[in-house]
Amino acid sequence: MKIDPSFIWAAFVNLMSAIPTTLLITAVSVTAGFMIGLIAAFARIYKVPVLSQIATAYVTFIRGTPMLTHLLLIYFGLPVLVDALSAQMGWGFKSSSIPMIWFAFISFSITAGAYMSEVIRSGLLAVNRGQLEAAYSIGMTTWQALRRIVFPQALAVSLPNLSNSVIGMLHGSTLAFTVSVVDINAQAQIVASTNWKFFESYLAAAAIFWGLTLLIERLTAIIERRINLYNRGGVA
Amino acid sequence: MGAPFDYSYVFSFLPKLLSTLGVTMLIVAGSLLVGIVAGFLVALPRLYRIPVLNAFSMVYISFFRGTPILIQLFLFYYGLPEILKLVHIDLSRAPVMVFVILTYGLHTGAFMSEMIRASVTAVDRGQVEAAYAMGMKGHQAFLRIVLPQALAIAVPVFSNMVIALLKDTSLAFTLGLMEMTGKAQTLGNITQHFIEAYLALAFIYLVISFTLEKLLLRAERRLMRHEVPESAARKRFRVQEKLSYRRIIAGIRPEKGGAEL
Repeated sequence: MKIDPSFIWAAFVNLMSAIPTTLLITAVSVTAGFMIGLIAAFARIYKVPVLSQIATAYVTFIRGTPMLTHLLLIYFGLPVLVDALSAQMGWGFKSSSIPMIWFAFISFSITAGAYMSEVIRSGLLAVNRGQLEAAYSIGMTTWQALRRIVFPQALAVSLPNLSNSVIGMLHGSTLAFTVSVVDINAQAQIVASTNWKFFESYLAAAAIFWGLTLLIERLTAIIERRINLYNRGGVA
Repeated sequence: MGAPFDYSYVFSFLPKLLSTLGVTMLIVAGSLLVGIVAGFLVALPRLYRIPVLNAFSMVYISFFRGTPILIQLFLFYYGLPEILKLVHIDLSRAPVMVFVILTYGLHTGAFMSEMIRASVTAVDRGQVEAAYAMGMKGHQAFLRIVLPQALAIAVPVFSNMVIALLKDTSLAFTLGLMEMTGKAQTLGNITQHFIEAYLALAFIYLVISFTLEKLLLRAERRLMRHEVPESAARKRFRVQEKLSYRRIIAGIRPEKGGAEL
């Protein structure tokens, strides 16, 4: 086996076709994870009786176990649950009709939700309590105060962590190959084993991921500069 | 898919999975060792701003943080023997474990170097100046003044890194290494009780990461002894507040992910 530099480019072009799948998995899991995280974070901050305990258990469990086990548990466990439920309700819905990529969506969203909830919680806690009190004192309702005063500041504080979560989910999406979804990593495996050029294919895959990661970092930096405008300090 | 769910399998799988705990822990310990050495080697040029090496460190960190660990595993497993063949070193008979520990080690090293850099720069510059003013030498100031304080700052981040590493080791099965996840898969295949096998697996990971976190929290408390605030009444409140906030910040793994080139 000799290293074939020209094949790296061929593999690179071939892997491009799988980029949308990877980005789709990442986007879905980040968006859904953000929603879950928001609910979990608020349940914990406002210490909602039962919800906050559930949220704490959820976050602890997810953060204490590998992402791969979440995917495998969903992959093997969800069909059993769905089939049992549909048999009981008489829906006539079969778990085998769920597309494979949905297992990745569901499981990665659950994973992302736990990490996001910590990001959101730390962001909200970082906003000075006086800001909320000042908003109340000028007659805002809680919802107004949260939406106009607390959220924008919390977002600015947690932007670097959010971007890290997005990158984490981008890298985590490589696990989707275990449920036979063809993302960049799975495509690299296919290209590698059909051409018997493993090193070159994975080099191309690594290059794509590196590029995507740098792109996310750049975008975050731009948004961060924009969003922190209010916080400049100085006189002018 | 598989056999119907049966509770008792979860318990019968636990001891079987625990028999491979040693392999998982060996990967964690081995890569931590490699990671600490690599992390220091990479962090030093950045801390002392050594011209060419600094750029090297930045590319190293950016690469290992910018690509998924799974890709890195395959890259090293397939690529390293081929590259070393060019200098006539034969690695084709080396055990898989070597590649796994090396990859995880280098991966952790990138995060470790960022941790080291962040904690050393977090120590107040005045501390070093005060040490010099008292007549300490460079290495004395570093060992006696900077290092103990940097350690205390680094522990929460370190704790997360160890737990992240533990969770990442679940990917080693892709190279055919029989660690806990690989064992769980085999057990599932043999008995067709997949859910039970993965539940047992998740439980073991949860217990280990919980224990590790508690142990390292104790280490952090011990290292933070020197931080005595002004008055005793404010002490309990303030330090707790600061500590818990730092823990949340560290808890979301600000060091994980990202390339920063």
